[in-house]
Amino acid sequence: MTAAPAIEVRHLTKDFRVGLKGVKLRAVDDLSLSIPRGQVYGLLGPNGCGKSTTLKVVLGLVPATAGEVSILGLPSATAEARARTGFLPEAPYFHKFLSGRELVRYCAHLSGVPSDRVESAVEEAVALVDLREAAGRLVGTYSKGMLQRIGLAQAIVHDPELVILDEPTAGVDPVGAAAIGRIIEAMRARGKTVVLCSHLLGQVEQVCDRVAIMDKGRLVLEGAVEEVLERRDRHVLTVDALTPAALAAAEAALVAHGARLGAVTHPRRSLEELFRELVTGSRDA
Amino acid sequence: MKAACHRSLWIARITFLEAIRQRFFAFLFILGAALVLASGAVRVFDFGHSELKFLADFGFGGLFLFGSILGVVMTAQLFFAEIDNRTALTLLAKPLSRAEFLAGKFLGIWAVLGVFVLVLAALLAAMLGWRAAELAQLAADRRLAPPECDLAGLALYAALQWLRLGVVVAMVLAVAAAARTFLFAVVVGALAVLAGQLQWLSQELLLKPAEPGLGQAALWLLTHLLPNLQQFNLGDALVLAPHQVAAGTLPWVFLSGVAYVVAFLVLATFLFRRREI
Repeated sequence: MTAAPAIEVRHLTKDFRVGLKGVKLRAVDDLSLSIPRGQVYGLLGPNGCGKSTTLKVVLGLVPATAGEVSILGLPSATAEARARTGFLPEAPYFHKFLSGRELVRYCAHLSGVPSDRVESAVEEAVALVDLREAAGRLVGTYSKGMLQRIGLAQAIVHDPELVILDEPTAGVDPVGAAAIGRIIEAMRARGKTVVLCSHLLGQVEQVCDRVAIMDKGRLVLEGAVEEVLERRDRHVLTVDALTPAALAAAEAALVAHGARLGAVTHPRRSLEELFRELVTGSRDA
Repeated sequence: MKAACHRSLWIARITFLEAIRQRFFAFLFILGAALVLASGAVRVFDFGHSELKFLADFGFGGLFLFGSILGVVMTAQLFFAEIDNRTALTLLAKPLSRAEFLAGKFLGIWAVLGVFVLVLAALLAAMLGWRAAELAQLAADRRLAPPECDLAGLALYAALQWLRLGVVVAMVLAVAAAARTFLFAVVVGALAVLAGQLQWLSQELLLKPAEPGLGQAALWLLTHLLPNLQQFNLGDALVLAPHQVAAGTLPWVFLSGVAYVVAFLVLATFLFRRREI
């Protein structure tokens, strides 16, 4: 028997009533998704496309107008499902009078961590987000990046199987965003399922196994990152020692077979690849 | 059940810590304490009443007025702080039910009000005890009966006031669970407390002979839905004339107070159940 997906959304619709007349606003429109376990899943889309609403319905914070949602095979609104889920909301706000460690301890108790395990779970979570030194400071003194990281710590302190992160890098500088990216990769290495909502598409491409793109409440694309980025109607040939004569002959051969040469360019490597080649290579040597 | 209590107590603990840090609480706390202490200095203006009654009325008034204001404003403020600052989003995404969340909020706020009542009652007891001892000495010199002042009765009165504030907090939580804004919750909560304070009027009207009709039905509904907050004000009887309290009054007041707390918390949970966070 195969394990149930981490999240299963079937024909989800969510309407909001706005204004005095109660005009209906459809935030999510007949959305169906199946998020497999053990992967990092990117949920993308422009502001107002229904990503956050979808996550709130998944967590039982907002009731669905129609459709069904399950987490790890359990109805999503149940406490049992939420006990196996960690959540970092967008732009998180925490009680400023608590220290980082106190906040994570508070969340550990609410998440059902056994009392004799709380301290070790707190230290583990704080260490994973690299906040051990600052954990004794009041949350009110934290920078934006530190707030996101302590938010991550409170989300994972009970060692959930599924972690949902809503814009974890919003307002965070590139160094902080990279640190959060490393934490997500560490969670994947531990076998967790991570659902990531983010506008940092470069990071999503780097860390996600699969992505779904939403627009105006509807799902417009879903699939493995490699698959959705690949253009199956086009091909790239990498050729060594291409002379003008060889190029002309190749172009003629392509035309003869009904194909067309679109462009001839030199392949690029990323700055990171170049950096690793130059620096890591010399260090290894 | 044990796990649910554990989670509610953690919510209560953080709510308590948040509440005692509020300037509003500190302001009313100091004002209430100052009022009780100042009663000793202004007791010469007793308007013909006995001096101990004058002192007691000052203390009872401080407990009632500032306790009620604290109960209404602090409950609405602490509830909406969780919603508006979106900390509720983080908390309710955990295996914490909305009933546990509301129970925790209630216990945290009620505990703060318990501290308020305890300190003001202790100050009032000190004032009354000091002055009662002096007056008893004067009465003994004149071979007169000493004035009655029962400090155990004062402790009972403080417990009743704490229970009354529990009813107020539960009532305002029910209003806040349905309200969209802090201001609405404060205004409607304050009106509900005022109506509860005047509920005995509808009870009296209901007792008068009248034709059954819409008015009588409305009165019956008002009498049975609103708590009679006036029934907790037994200060004079408990402290200054302890033998005047009828048998069965205290258990009835206590039981009805607990019943109203439970009923309003159930109503708050029902209203909060499908609220979008």
